Amino acid sequence: MRPRTRKVLSDFFGNPTRTVMVIASITVGLVAIGMILVLRQAMVTDMMQGYAAVNPANIQIQGVFFDQDFINHLARMPEIRQAEGVAIKTLRVKTGSSQLKPIKLLASRDYAKREIGQVKLVEGDWPPLDREIVLEVNRADETPYKIGDTVLIKLTSGEIRGLKLVGIVQDQTLGSDRGGAGFFLAPIQGYITLETLPWLKIPDLFTTLQFTTAGGSDRAAIEAAASSILEECRKNGYTTISKAVRLSTEHPNLLYVNAMTAILVLLGFLVLFLSAFLIINTLSALLNQQIEQIGVLKSFGGTRQQIIFLYLSLVLLFSVIGFVIAAPLAHLVAYWEQNLLAPQLNYSSSGFRWFLPAVLGQALIALIVPQAAALIPILHGSNLTVQQALSGSENAEVKNPAGRQTHLAWLHLSRPIAISLRNVFRKRLRLILTLVTLTLGGGMFVATFNMRASIADYIARLGNYFMADVNLSFNRAYSIHEVEQIARAVPEVESIEGWAAAVGQIITADGHPGEAILMEGPPENSVLLEPILIRGRWLDPQDENAIVLNEVFMELYPQVQVGDTVTIKIAGSEVRWAVVGFFQFAGKNTGLVAFTHYSPLAKATHSFNHSTDFRIVARKKNLTLGEQTALAEKLEQVFTERGYQVAEASAGQSVLTNSAKGLNALTGFLLFLSVLMAVVGTIGLSGTMSLNVMERTREIGVMRAIGASDFEIERMIIVEGLVVGLISWITGVVAAMPVSNALAAAIGGAIFGRPIPVSFTFTGVGIWLGLMVIFTIVASLLPARTASRLTIRQILAYE
Amino acid sequence: MVPKFPYRTPDFTWDERTPIITVRDLNKVFTLASGDVQVLKHVNLEMEKGEFVGIVGRSGCGKSTLVNMITGIDHPSSGEVTVAGQPLQALNEGKLSEWRGRTLGIVFQFFQLLPTLTLIENVMLPMDFCRMFPPAEREERARQLLARVGLEKEANKFPGAVSSGQQQSAAVARALANDVPILVADEPTGNLDSRSAEEIIQLFQELVAQGKTILMVTHDLDLAQRTDRIIHMSDGVIVPRLIAEGAQP
Repeated sequence: MRPRTRKVLSDFFGNPTRTVMVIASITVGLVAIGMILVLRQAMVTDMMQGYAAVNPANIQIQGVFFDQDFINHLARMPEIRQAEGVAIKTLRVKTGSSQLKPIKLLASRDYAKREIGQVKLVEGDWPPLDREIVLEVNRADETPYKIGDTVLIKLTSGEIRGLKLVGIVQDQTLGSDRGGAGFFLAPIQGYITLETLPWLKIPDLFTTLQFTTAGGSDRAAIEAAASSILEECRKNGYTTISKAVRLSTEHPNLLYVNAMTAILVLLGFLVLFLSAFLIINTLSALLNQQIEQIGVLKSFGGTRQQIIFLYLSLVLLFSVIGFVIAAPLAHLVAYWEQNLLAPQLNYSSSGFRWFLPAVLGQALIALIVPQAAALIPILHGSNLTVQQALSGSENAEVKNPAGRQTHLAWLHLSRPIAISLRNVFRKRLRLILTLVTLTLGGGMFVATFNMRASIADYIARLGNYFMADVNLSFNRAYSIHEVEQIARAVPEVESIEGWAAAVGQIITADGHPGEAILMEGPPENSVLLEPILIRGRWLDPQDENAIVLNEVFMELYPQVQVGDTVTIKIAGSEVRWAVVGFFQFAGKNTGLVAFTHYSPLAKATHSFNHSTDFRIVARKKNLTLGEQTALAEKLEQVFTERGYQVAEASAGQSVLTNSAKGLNALTGFLLFLSVLMAVVGTIGLSGTMSLNVMERTREIGVMRAIGASDFEIERMIIVEGLVVGLISWITGVVAAMPVSNALAAAIGGAIFGRPIPVSFTFTGVGIWLGLMVIFTIVASLLPARTASRLTIRQILAYE
Repeated sequence: MVPKFPYRTPDFTWDERTPIITVRDLNKVFTLASGDVQVLKHVNLEMEKGEFVGIVGRSGCGKSTLVNMITGIDHPSSGEVTVAGQPLQALNEGKLSEWRGRTLGIVFQFFQLLPTLTLIENVMLPMDFCRMFPPAEREERARQLLARVGLEKEANKFPGAVSSGQQQSAAVARALANDVPILVADEPTGNLDSRSAEEIIQLFQELVAQGKTILMVTHDLDLAQRTDRIIHMSDGVIVPRLIAEGAQP
């Protein structure tokens, strides 16, 4: 073996702790970057390709009783690839002794021949036969039923009918018929045959048309096809209620993945810096230890080029090993996280596979960053004269101490503590690099907690639109006055409001039907709303046909401004509404929502003084979810006993709980990234502390020689680590502010169409402080222990 | 009366009829890649309180190793070392550090002052480590020690800002910080100019006159002549003076 190769290998194997720390620093940075690249690609690919594989509908049109002949007619349209009809009806399923939950029943003529929206069998059998039901897996756990059980369905007449549960399926199109991310707001879903419908006293006629189009990836082509279909419906006398269009790859939860991707892009950028700083820091320290050896090499004829090559070879060896560990590890971590995410977001992970661009990206970084980082100290060392290198004058710790004696003097610290504090600032460049690394890690950690708080606050603010304790809806409209009389007789009830509600359809400027819109009409004097306005104003009592639109309008119909008029088709009639303002709601989560007064909406739905939807306020304030549920059950019983057809009685908070589910997946994802950042930061600090201790081994020996105990030595090193940790904690908290703002813009933009207000929480700050204290102690303890275990002879003979 | 704080004061009590340093049948073997090397061979040595002893010999003769055994910096392969009544083999590494701080002052060839502490802080450090003297008294004591070695004006300077001779004087002051009875100096003048070396030797002689025991390793026979007794070492054994002188080049 050539001597120079032996020199590289002896540097590599000569100090195993140092070698492990350097490789760990390189590896952790590469893993973080690789993981982000793999996860970003895998999430998007698996969700989009997996969704396209189930052949989802590009167009869904809800209307009144379509027949098969008409569907066959539409299927012959040139832009249509496939056309199928589905009968959809929402009833209620018994989920407890007195508990009922909405269940959306989908009935198809022949599931075996059905091509649109393929489901995946999870358990039992598929498809269902007559008087059998199959439940969708994502909501099946909200019912107590197991395969073979009889699922009890409450009909609109109040009768209970049983269907045998024969299977559980996964349906990736769950929630796809709503605007935006309908997944988390979708009720329990069941699949039955068309022949089962009459037994449930439902007409066996199709209420929804589903189409796939030839241009499934071209939104404009899909929109054009939808307009043609709606026109055909109009010409043939079919009433349509709403339409929903989606690309073949547009999974209902794609916006969450888009939000996560936005976070990953942002964090990936920061992690790249973080990793680079980590690597630069570690290698600079390593090369500084080699300065004297560089002097020796030069003293017997080593040229500058030879020395540079020698040390770059060593760094390359570190990089190659780091890369070999990091490439598979990054993939494993990414797919582990994806396997956690996929069920939450109702998509299937395709499992582990190598993602070449990520591997190449890691290889590129492994090749460039460590070499570039090492080049600075290598060039510096190779430029030193032999005398400088051998004398170690370049490494002199305190060159110009003038005036420094006053530093920290006012603190009256003991000498051991003073040593710890001064050691912190001894290698200023290294301190800065360490602080930058930990600050980035801390900033991202704290920011992810701020994001969790921001999302929670955002959800809580949605409570401004759901202030009632119980939402009571009926299968048909009842006199508001009569319902009020009955409800007020219940002792727990303080007040009740009858709201008008309708699903309308936007009529575009060229007269074509557009997106479905949920319209709510609270009474003019409603006390159950505290809207969050974005633009314009809220409704005035004297307004007529005024409307306030949610933020999704601003994205879908940017041309609509305050003062404009919009036309909405409600119950077959087109009504013009004056836009007076825009309010902030749950963004793309809920699709288009509009508020108007009760009167004009009741007039449009021909239900004046009557309503199907009631909001009830309890006498007792601040009810818990359980108390609200109990009151809902009591009210349902009261009205059912009086012959009212109750469609649903739900706790006010349940709407918020469901809305929050989608965001829980996002906050869980943020937490995962927080932990990743913490790990990167800890390894960074640990490496720095180890190298600091290694450099001061001789001084530690001297202190031991003059009477320092193991405890004193360990304490000094731990205090030094703690000071670095605490400084980085402060800078991390400061850095969290701009990082939080950037994350709020990324997440808000992806989900709500606009940045969400940032809520700063002390939770992340506190946890990061705790972690920093623990991490710095752990990171310092190992080198401290190692140092205190060395005999003084070993130490003084060091180097 | 029980002291308010558990600060220690010098309290060396041993049977002063016995030597302050006793080395019995000391052997030290280093295991190297090339095989075992016996650096010390059956060494026996005694030093009385107040003696100033010089150990001389060629490089590699084992004199520094012998000093490391006496200071507890290294452990013998066999044999016994007793210092101020304390058998060193009975102490573990941690206990040795504390014992050393209260019993021995070590002066190194390269001074080994901590670069981030001022001279006075360096002198105060052993008192902090061993909790010797009440904290309020430590600074004044350190200042007195620095004044004794002529560094009162340099007390607040960092080691890098003073000369080599001054650094070694500060190292001697540090070695005396805990009022230890024994000073062990390994080539204390090896890195100094002749004037500074002379000052250090004079200081040692003053200290011996005040009752301190000093063991000094040196390769300089002239300096060794200034001690009370010279121990000659060659190939890991203590040799008689005449043989040693005959062996000198």
